[in-house]
Amino acid sequence: MLWPQAAAPESAAMAQALALTTGLLLLTAVLQLWRRSLSGSTSLLAIQGAALAGLVITVAIAEGAPELFAVALLVLALKAAIIPMLLHRTALKTGGTLETSHRVHPTAGLLWAALLTTVAFLAARPLVSASPGPLTKVAPVGLALVLLGFLVLLTRHQAVSQLVGFVILDNGIATVAFLTSGGVPLIVEIGVMIDVLFVVVILRVLASQMRSVFGATDLDDLTELRD
Amino acid sequence: MTVVDLGLAAQFLFALAAVVAALASPTAYRSRLAGTLSAGIGVSGAVAGAGALGGTTATWTLAHPLGPAIGPLAPLTLAPDRLGGFFLLVVGLVGTIASVFGIGYAHGAAASRTGWTAYPLFLLGMQLVPAAGDVLTFLGGWELMALASTVLVLSDHAHRPRVRSAGIWYAVMTHLSFALLALGFAVLTSVAGSTRFADIAGMPVGESTSGVAFVLLTLGFVTKAGLVPVHVWLPRAHPEAPSHVSAVMSAAMVKMGVYGVLLTVTRLLPDAARWWGLALLALALPSALYGILQASVASDLKRLLAYSTTENVGLILTAVSVSMLTRHTGTADVSQIALVAALLLVASHAAFKTVLFLAAGAILAATGERDLDRMGGLAGGMPVTAAAFGVAALGAAALPVTSGFVAEWVLLQSLIHGDVRTDRLTTALLPAIVAVVALTAGLALLTFVKAFGIAFLARPRSEGAAAAHEVSFAMRGALVAGAAGVLALGLLPGLTSSGALAALTSGVSSRGAVGAVVAQPVGLGGIELPTLGALLDPTSLLILGLILTVPIVAISWRLALGIPRRAVDLQWGCGGVRVSPRMQYTATSFAEPLVRVFGDTLRPTQQLEVERAKESRFVVVGATYKQRVGDVIEDRVYRPVARLLGRIGDKARTVQNGSIHRYLAFSFAALVALLVVVVR
Amino acid sequence: MSASPAVAPDLTSTAWGLLAVVLQCCVLAAVSPILIGVMRQVRYRMEGRIGPGIWQPTRDLLKLARKEPLVAPGVRLQGVMPIAMTGTSLLLVALLPLMSTVTIPLVPDDLFVVVGVLLLGTVAIALLGLDSGTAFGGMGSSRHMTIAALVEPTVLVAVYALSIPVGSSALSAIVDARIAEPVSVVSPVSLLALVALIIVVVAETGRLPVDNPSTHLELTMVHEAMILEASGRDLGWVEFSSWLRLAGLLGLVANLALPWGVAQSMSIGGLAVAIVAIVVKVMLAGAGVAAVEVFLAKVRLFKVPELLAASFVMAFLAVTASYLVV
Repeated sequence: MLWPQAAAPESAAMAQALALTTGLLLLTAVLQLWRRSLSGSTSLLAIQGAALAGLVITVAIAEGAPELFAVALLVLALKAAIIPMLLHRTALKTGGTLETSHRVHPTAGLLWAALLTTVAFLAARPLVSASPGPLTKVAPVGLALVLLGFLVLLTRHQAVSQLVGFVILDNGIATVAFLTSGGVPLIVEIGVMIDVLFVVVILRVLASQMRSVFGATDLDDLTELRD
Repeated sequence: MTVVDLGLAAQFLFALAAVVAALASPTAYRSRLAGTLSAGIGVSGAVAGAGALGGTTATWTLAHPLGPAIGPLAPLTLAPDRLGGFFLLVVGLVGTIASVFGIGYAHGAAASRTGWTAYPLFLLGMQLVPAAGDVLTFLGGWELMALASTVLVLSDHAHRPRVRSAGIWYAVMTHLSFALLALGFAVLTSVAGSTRFADIAGMPVGESTSGVAFVLLTLGFVTKAGLVPVHVWLPRAHPEAPSHVSAVMSAAMVKMGVYGVLLTVTRLLPDAARWWGLALLALALPSALYGILQASVASDLKRLLAYSTTENVGLILTAVSVSMLTRHTGTADVSQIALVAALLLVASHAAFKTVLFLAAGAILAATGERDLDRMGGLAGGMPVTAAAFGVAALGAAALPVTSGFVAEWVLLQSLIHGDVRTDRLTTALLPAIVAVVALTAGLALLTFVKAFGIAFLARPRSEGAAAAHEVSFAMRGALVAGAAGVLALGLLPGLTSSGALAALTSGVSSRGAVGAVVAQPVGLGGIELPTLGALLDPTSLLILGLILTVPIVAISWRLALGIPRRAVDLQWGCGGVRVSPRMQYTATSFAEPLVRVFGDTLRPTQQLEVERAKESRFVVVGATYKQRVGDVIEDRVYRPVARLLGRIGDKARTVQNGSIHRYLAFSFAALVALLVVVVR
Repeated sequence: MSASPAVAPDLTSTAWGLLAVVLQCCVLAAVSPILIGVMRQVRYRMEGRIGPGIWQPTRDLLKLARKEPLVAPGVRLQGVMPIAMTGTSLLLVALLPLMSTVTIPLVPDDLFVVVGVLLLGTVAIALLGLDSGTAFGGMGSSRHMTIAALVEPTVLVAVYALSIPVGSSALSAIVDARIAEPVSVVSPVSLLALVALIIVVVAETGRLPVDNPSTHLELTMVHEAMILEASGRDLGWVEFSSWLRLAGLLGLVANLALPWGVAQSMSIGGLAVAIVAIVVKVMLAGAGVAAVEVFLAKVRLFKVPELLAASFVMAFLAVTASYLVV
């Protein structure tokens, strides 16, 4: 068996769940770089949110922390349902259904993703070796998510895709937090998530404003925003 | 007197005889005489190499030709060890085959006195390098090889102006290489206090000193081996040299660069730092990819083969660097297997590249064409050449059951077993290396399908190709012998890997790094890697394939008895049209999808000119389309540097205006400056 | 009784291995035309058509065998290459652990060898295309080789990923390990590698979305363009060999995903179960592929690298993850 190795049978199932959820997190982030369709992008984001919720549940069982179940519910509601849905509706409303820009060719983007993931795994070495355990072992996935989120932010033009990148980044931070410290305190987690929601709502409004002013939501059109 | 002594002595005698024959014999017999004697050089080199590989030692102390000038340094010695023996064997065999081919092939300038004088000296110089036992002999052989090959590259300069530019590029790069080597060896000898390799090898060298020596030597050697970015001479010099010379240059001479790297990292400086492997990998891996990418879009057959040489040397040195990396992570068996893979790649490349270049020469002789776009249908007129080229192309594409496949198989096995989770960087690099090697193999497949299919199949695209006829007996003989070598190396890897392992005993493992046997013969000449649990027996595979093909052939034959083939006048081509040969895909169009996919890297320049009728701009009279895929590195790196140097040269010209007084003033100023320095 | 290369090559095990291999070839050869029939029939039914039934490809083959091949001027390999292609397809099927993990000791089912044999077939058909001397042949051949070249990294990295858990690149060892530990099939590493491998198989066998097997539209065809000049029994062999290849590769993917039913030693009962199992698995896999294809369109040739890059990244992540997350 690989990834990660487990000793006892009950923790074997745990390891399997851990591997599956983190694998899904990573895969959905990588595939983001391939998809051009915004609706496809938001559905991938929803799957990623669900995977994150699954990860939180796994951590909750592993650490025996019942309050994390509440967080998991919150994550499921916000990241798997509300935020993707809002983004999807924004995409529909602003008319931008395709990410047409080619700042980075999808093929190149995918290869970059492979490279960044490797870098994340290499860079997370001190983190993993500091406190070896089944949870910290997969923590590099969170770091990879952060890097991939940045890549999406950098390479995409549409306002909605930018938001997608931002949410991926946030998911990455959350993943690292859950895996390394068994979850930040509930209140902080809720606070951060509300923040993300606010950002989404604000940008959603902004995007519709942009659309009505410029007729597009390509952020490259915003280069004139200066004194 | 051992067999090695005999071989070493014989090669000098043959070289002398060949030079005399070239100078003295009448034109009619020159090629035959000098070619046969040159083949003798190759054979004696191969004999000496085989002996040395088998463990026979011989030390030849040459008389001091420079007399007291050498002074306190050690005398010139020839003492091939096992590793040198391996390379001597490879070089000797390549030289033999190419010389036999040259008997029938050499004509015009290549068959002149100069041509046939330089050729044996070239072979001799090349055989002195792996036999050398000290630095000075090594550099002497190296310089002889470089000078003689420069003369050979330039042999046709009177008729084709491009030869001159190729010659200049080659001369500059080869002397850059020599200078770097001389510096690198100077560092080592100054530390060791001796020029003998044996003394240097036993000497503990400081970390920074050995680092400097490694960088200088490696840069010098890879310039000869043709790695990116110092590959630029290869695609120029190889196509312009006479084909039997390009075969030797590509199949044997660049291997001296590989030998040099191996000599450095396994014998002279065996305690490599970790960054050495990474540095070599950073040169080798991009070279493999870039070389094959350029080869896949090239339409000049010899240019294609030259770029493919860059690819192969890249793969060989990738294997060497993998060995260096894994040696550091403690997997000694994997490290050893990677070196075996490197040597198998060396032998394999020598075999198939000889045949490919010689076949390109045969095509050139038969059709006068080097451009694939103007070939086609050659299999009809030249069946032997076609078969030999086909076998060698399979080898170059690393398909079973040829030499290339076995070598890449061993390399891949070492890669997938090279993981050591303690060294994360190496571990993270391995899949990337596998991916690049795989992409290289895939592109090589496309390249050689293109080369074979466009040149030998379909219908002739030019009159020269239509009039092709089979070449002379000597040339065919050389081609068949080379192709047999490709198959033999592919079918009997057990034998070659034993040879490669023996060659390596003079290097790292003499320090007791590996206990277990890492590769051994198995079955019908197959190879087994016991520590990795992997086995490959190409002969058995071939037999199984043949057994399975028997019923197919039987059914086909049975059906053919009842219903024979019927000849028709027209190709179908979606409508039974009378297709002209110009409608066929050419080499350029074959590679077109690839040019588009890798457009960012290759940066092709395209030019489309449409000529329209006067009456209406909607009526097109004709169109010309030009596409050129240049060498990005040449265009982006070398041209600016050359321009800069040219500008500096122009400036410098104002200093010397031809006035004798000014020159005297320069000398006077120099003298005064010298005096000041000395007095201080 | 895995085909560990360390086993001393003796005559008995060679004979048993040969028997297993020949049996496997016979079963697959018989099944492959029916597989194509099933795939086409599934497609027709899902498109609301009736279809000619699952035996049509078999009837086509028999008809082609009795037709005379036409030879156009300048064509040389039209008779040889179809036989070479069929030979490599049979060898490919012989090497794969489809029915049993019993192999001939001297010819272990090393994945790199399997890939090499696969590529031999690729080269054979590409040369056939170039030999025809028409624009279409060259076009198909060029596209085919471009795709083959770009698929190669994914193939080998996926092979690498599969070989890591067992420490060997022998397919039978991989399948044996999966039978012993079925949970490992659903580990993310294995899933990623499998998905990558499926894309590879789709590309190598010319299925949608890489190539449309039923098109004769000049601008899009790849496989069909190469075999336009083949006729009569030559065409029959070409078709048969590509069907056999498809059947073998589908069987391989099916066995990696669902390793049950594969015989691990030579016994009558085991082999009988294995025959049934492989036939069912191949048919189900084929029906699945056909059903998915109904919803797919062929992508542009220059979008294919994107697809292959995606599959490559999956294979690459599989390797990276299995090494670095430890």
